[in-house]
Amino acid sequence: MQVVFNIPGPLREFTENRSSVRLEVKAGADLREALQVLFAACPGLRDRVLTESGEIRRHVNIFVANEDVRYTGGLATAVRGGAEISIVPAISGG
Amino acid sequence: MIGQTLDHYRIVAQLGEGGMGVVYRARDEVLNRDVALKLLAQGALEKVGRGHLLREAQTASSLSHPNICTIHQVGQTGDDFYVVMELIEGRSLSDLLTTTGLSMEIVTRYGVQIADALAHAHDRGIVHRDLKGSNVMVTAEGRVKVLDFGLATRMEREEISELTLSYDTLESKLVGTLPYMSPEVLRGHKADHLSDLWAFGVLLYEAAAGRLPFRGNTGFEVTSAILREPPPPLPPTVPHGLAAVIQRCLMKEPPERYQRASEVRAALEALQGAVLQSRHPSEETRGPRTLVLRGMEHLTVKNGDVLLLVGTNKGAFLLRSSRDRSKWDVAGPYFHGQGVYAMAYDGRNGRHRLWVSTNSLMWGTFLRSSDDFGRIWTNPLEASIRFPIESGAALKNIWQICLGRAEEPETLYCGVEPAALFESRDGGESWSLVRGLYDHPQRPRWMPSNGGLFLHTVVPDPGKRERMYVAVSAGGVYRTEDCGNTWQARNSGIRVVFMPEKYPEFGQCVHKIVLHESRPERLFLQNHWGLYRSDNCGDSWQDIARGVPSDFGFAMLMHPHDADCVFILPVESDEFRCTPEGRLRVYRTRNAGGSWESLERGLPQQGAYETVLRDAFSTDSLDPAGIYFGTRSGKLYASRDAGKGWKKILEGLPQIVCVKAAVIQMDGAPAARPHAKGKPAAKRKTPRMKSVRRGNRR
Repeated sequence: MQVVFNIPGPLREFTENRSSVRLEVKAGADLREALQVLFAACPGLRDRVLTESGEIRRHVNIFVANEDVRYTGGLATAVRGGAEISIVPAISGG
Repeated sequence: MIGQTLDHYRIVAQLGEGGMGVVYRARDEVLNRDVALKLLAQGALEKVGRGHLLREAQTASSLSHPNICTIHQVGQTGDDFYVVMELIEGRSLSDLLTTTGLSMEIVTRYGVQIADALAHAHDRGIVHRDLKGSNVMVTAEGRVKVLDFGLATRMEREEISELTLSYDTLESKLVGTLPYMSPEVLRGHKADHLSDLWAFGVLLYEAAAGRLPFRGNTGFEVTSAILREPPPPLPPTVPHGLAAVIQRCLMKEPPERYQRASEVRAALEALQGAVLQSRHPSEETRGPRTLVLRGMEHLTVKNGDVLLLVGTNKGAFLLRSSRDRSKWDVAGPYFHGQGVYAMAYDGRNGRHRLWVSTNSLMWGTFLRSSDDFGRIWTNPLEASIRFPIESGAALKNIWQICLGRAEEPETLYCGVEPAALFESRDGGESWSLVRGLYDHPQRPRWMPSNGGLFLHTVVPDPGKRERMYVAVSAGGVYRTEDCGNTWQARNSGIRVVFMPEKYPEFGQCVHKIVLHESRPERLFLQNHWGLYRSDNCGDSWQDIARGVPSDFGFAMLMHPHDADCVFILPVESDEFRCTPEGRLRVYRTRNAGGSWESLERGLPQQGAYETVLRDAFSTDSLDPAGIYFGTRSGKLYASRDAGKGWKKILEGLPQIVCVKAAVIQMDGAPAARPHAKGKPAAKRKTPRMKSVRRGNRR
């Protein structure tokens, strides 16, 4: 199945400046597996989206089909074919 | 030839042999310098004619570019025709290649420089025609120099056939050329700038993959692959972006390639990601925009200049001055929006490398470097400093970048949050967690301070290789006597105010420790309340806070030339972390803590409620010493007479968290690349003072 990843501006230097990346992931994949496919295609993204211990960075929000995955099971959130997965920096700063 | 003299060049040694002739190291007896002298092979001369070769060499000698080997002279004595060139000490790119390929960082770092050299030459109508790994030298500083511009002879169709036919029996000096030849040149077309870009693509492929893209056992196989086969896929370790650049250089049809070397350079620079930017704003009609900083003016740094690295919680700034330290050029902000808590200048081993840690609230912390004073920064795909997965820890920030001892020029340390020490033994390419400290049984009982739980100070003993100190907030001072395998708390006599036990073995909130290399056994320490000295490598500490308005403070600085002289910047109290009485005063002891005196000439003495953080205090190595500090309110002060008088050299910066000063020592040519030509895409307003002029004019 195909999913579309929406990439925020600061990370597009790792996606050849593409704002979205469409990739084939295996049917029934969860968010963790889908992200692995993305990270394999665009290696710079992994360490910027996840910490080295494998968690989503605190000020990064990931949405699957407009739902914040913090409320839908985190990296275990199910991903359906055609879904849009959006990586979005949180509103925070100092 | 050795020992003979051509004109006023005495041949000293043979350096190598190439298709065009033999290269010697020679002594220029008039200018008293060493040069490279290429004595051209008679065969090459006969083939192309002396006049033609002379014209080519003369044209090439007009090129002046930091990444092109300079031709000093073209000469002829008797039958001998020779070219005198800049002597480059280094290794050729072919020598550096490994079977697994070079890292993305190295490939792009070298690639940008080669592309810049090509762009410069092409703009002047000069085509290389024989670009290959053996024609690219890399100096110890990591600077690329392209050799033999325009010196290659044009190959006629018959010669190419000959080369192809005899590939497997050819001398190595010619074999090097065939795998880099473009399809159109193999078909007999004249080599032009687009065939240079093809060769560049082959070079990049080879550097990234560790093998040539078009290979074969015979010349026919090689030419057939060049003409017909797509390049084999690059290893999966090669990032997609770099693979795309290489692929476009290796398009069989010249119109499908990049059309200019500057385009390849821009593509490689984008991969390096010097600054975050969106190259196609049209693609994004509503989304956020990042400013294009490509046009930012950078510093031009000369030998003997003083460089200030200023890290703030919203980016980094670089300042440059000549030795008199009266006027400062300013460049920045670099990494705008990101916290830069640690910076360092590494001038060991002929390098001119800036190190910086960038901390993005969203995207994490990365260690980055620049070899050209900030024009190009690495942006590693993967974080080089990372906790082992089984530790469950995740890097929050890098608080300190510390160079190893001078005799260990490849060693670097980083102190990080959560409190841990990382070490690199290969010049910062790879890093490992110092387990002896991380696995210390006391570590779980260290307590976070206001800023978190972090290791902020690393002090290698300058005299004893096995000994090193670190300071942790709040864990205290730890010392190793065995290169980091085991560590002991060394806090005897240092008071804590936030625990019932006033003199515990560990848990002190130490803010800074310093020592002078001439007296490595004596340490000075600024505590969270308390000023201390140890005369026995930290085994015990004595209070030395006599005559200071407050013994609370963060920053502490050792005089570079006087082991008895230490500077501090007192802060009123734990609760009111500002200068006492609204007076900004540096305090100095000149008798190792026996007494303290205020240094305030030129500093505001009314309503100046400032804070100077622990790493925002630095000194250069000149005499009299320059002393610099930055405030949380974004003001930068400097003294060029070891603290007697002060001057505000910059204001309006974000909160300053780090100031590091360095005196730049260069051998030979200036190491900074000329700045980008053309109109800057977006000029950044840089805060200025009357004594400050904008960076980079010449």
